[in-house]
Amino acid sequence: MMNLSRSVALISLFLLPLLSLSFSVDNPTDRRVLVLLDDLSLKSSHSIFFSTLKSRGFDLDFKLAEDSKLALQRYGQYLYDGLIIFAPSTERFGGSLDSKAIADFVDSGRDLILSADTSASDLIRGIALECGVDFDEDSSAMVIDHSSFSVSDVDGDHTLIAADDLVKSHAILGKTKIEAPVLFRGVAHSLNPTNNLVLKVLSASPSAYSANPSSKLSSPPQLTGSAISLVSVMQARNNARVVISGSLQLFSDKLFRSGVQKAGSPNKYEKSGNEQFVTELSKWVFHERGHLKAGSLVHHRVGETDEPAIYRIKDDLEFSVEILEWSGKSWEPYVADDVQVQFYMMSPYVLKTLSTDKKGLFHTSFKVPDVYGVFQFKVEYEKLGYTTLSLSKQIPVRPYRHNEYERFIPTAYPYYGACFTTMAGFFVFSFVYLYHK
Amino acid sequence: MVKSTSKDAQDLFRSLHSAYSATPTNLKIIDMYVVFAVFTALIQVAYMALVGSFPFNSFLSGVLSCVGTAVLAVCLRIQVNKENKEFKSHPPLGSYLEYSYRIWHQNEHLQILYSATWSSTWSSSTSSD
Repeated sequence: MMNLSRSVALISLFLLPLLSLSFSVDNPTDRRVLVLLDDLSLKSSHSIFFSTLKSRGFDLDFKLAEDSKLALQRYGQYLYDGLIIFAPSTERFGGSLDSKAIADFVDSGRDLILSADTSASDLIRGIALECGVDFDEDSSAMVIDHSSFSVSDVDGDHTLIAADDLVKSHAILGKTKIEAPVLFRGVAHSLNPTNNLVLKVLSASPSAYSANPSSKLSSPPQLTGSAISLVSVMQARNNARVVISGSLQLFSDKLFRSGVQKAGSPNKYEKSGNEQFVTELSKWVFHERGHLKAGSLVHHRVGETDEPAIYRIKDDLEFSVEILEWSGKSWEPYVADDVQVQFYMMSPYVLKTLSTDKKGLFHTSFKVPDVYGVFQFKVEYEKLGYTTLSLSKQIPVRPYRHNEYERFIPTAYPYYGACFTTMAGFFVFSFVYLYHK
Repeated sequence: MVKSTSKDAQDLFRSLHSAYSATPTNLKIIDMYVVFAVFTALIQVAYMALVGSFPFNSFLSGVLSCVGTAVLAVCLRIQVNKENKEFKSHPPLGSYLEYSYRIWHQNEHLQILYSATWSSTWSSSTSSD
């Protein structure tokens, strides 16, 4: 008996550190990543990508996509924080995985890197469609660009594209500019323009189009120009991040190492921008960058420190909120000049930009408007590439009490005067009337 | 036609003027006082038309005190008028005492002063909406 309870205690001791290995609110970087491959040779052909991930501390678990023991959850707990699917031709996942399980995975706040390629199956297309990305219906179509192709393209059909139309975001692509174009060979996808959760990270040039390279074009292609997205990202409302790429070769060692020269451009680069692009993108998608956390909203009257239960109209108040940014290892103060607070009741009565003290505290002060009711302090921050912050705190505002007005109202002076003259008039009249003889 | 109406108006005015001069002095004093009170009320109404009705209670108290004074003075005049048969038995001083009692009881002056200077929440909240 004693042995059993002791062994159970020992086992639970070992399990506790395992629980802390997953990502949590205090430590949002993903730790354990499941990598699904449709061919184990991808481990070696994409070895640079995987080794950079491992060197940043990720715990990669390589499995074949059709492995029958695949499971994302066990007993209701997720086993992985991130998922990389490099299996574009898989028709059906093994084990308990299907597109619904992957959708639930993203719904739980976990991240996904999905890559399609020239033979993308319906399963992969379906998962991409769930995330708002629409691949070209024609399964044999590839992105062709006759003016932005890479000069090193040996096939001569201009499907190896040198793309440099990157999104301008320090959060997603890092502060260092990616000088060399990014090599891409794969399928095109487009985004619904009304969807404001997806974003094109790498777009095709205006001369690109999506068609079958080996057959003659019989009708104008449906996807053309800059509407074609080569790599897109999606940040869900629960801040889960998804990267969807139309090319698996984008991540391969071969394209990482090769030099690139865009056709028609004199610049020749020794190394393509692929490795830097993919590394920075993986930092963003696994929450090593651009992840914000906000403390509670603090407000009080000027000169006080306690938070009152109710404000009066035309009070002066001070408002502050603390916002921190995850640097990959620790929480750093977030510095920005575009965080705003609203004093809101059906519409914002006050909208102020918060000033920062560079240590993560954003503050401002304003006068409560001349309207009473139940207001909310609202901070709605949606910056490109950063987690969305949606904070609110409710506070009532009352009108003046009857003894909070000025004692003598200047506009009423004539009325006061009238009262006094009436009194004086009565007095004088009485004298005159009684003694007028 | 016009000439005759204007002549009629002039005749009317002259006859009114001569009849009025015949009234006793004490009644004239009361009349002056009534005119003064009504005039003060009208000034306040004109002021309110200019600047708006905030604070409304102060306006009301000012106007109503003037109007109330005027009404009570008219009551006094009715009672004191010798040509008025019903009040023949009342002594004039008694009428005056009654009048002044009414003024005091009206008490508006104190109430007015009070409400004119302290705005209540209902009047200012309706104006600030």
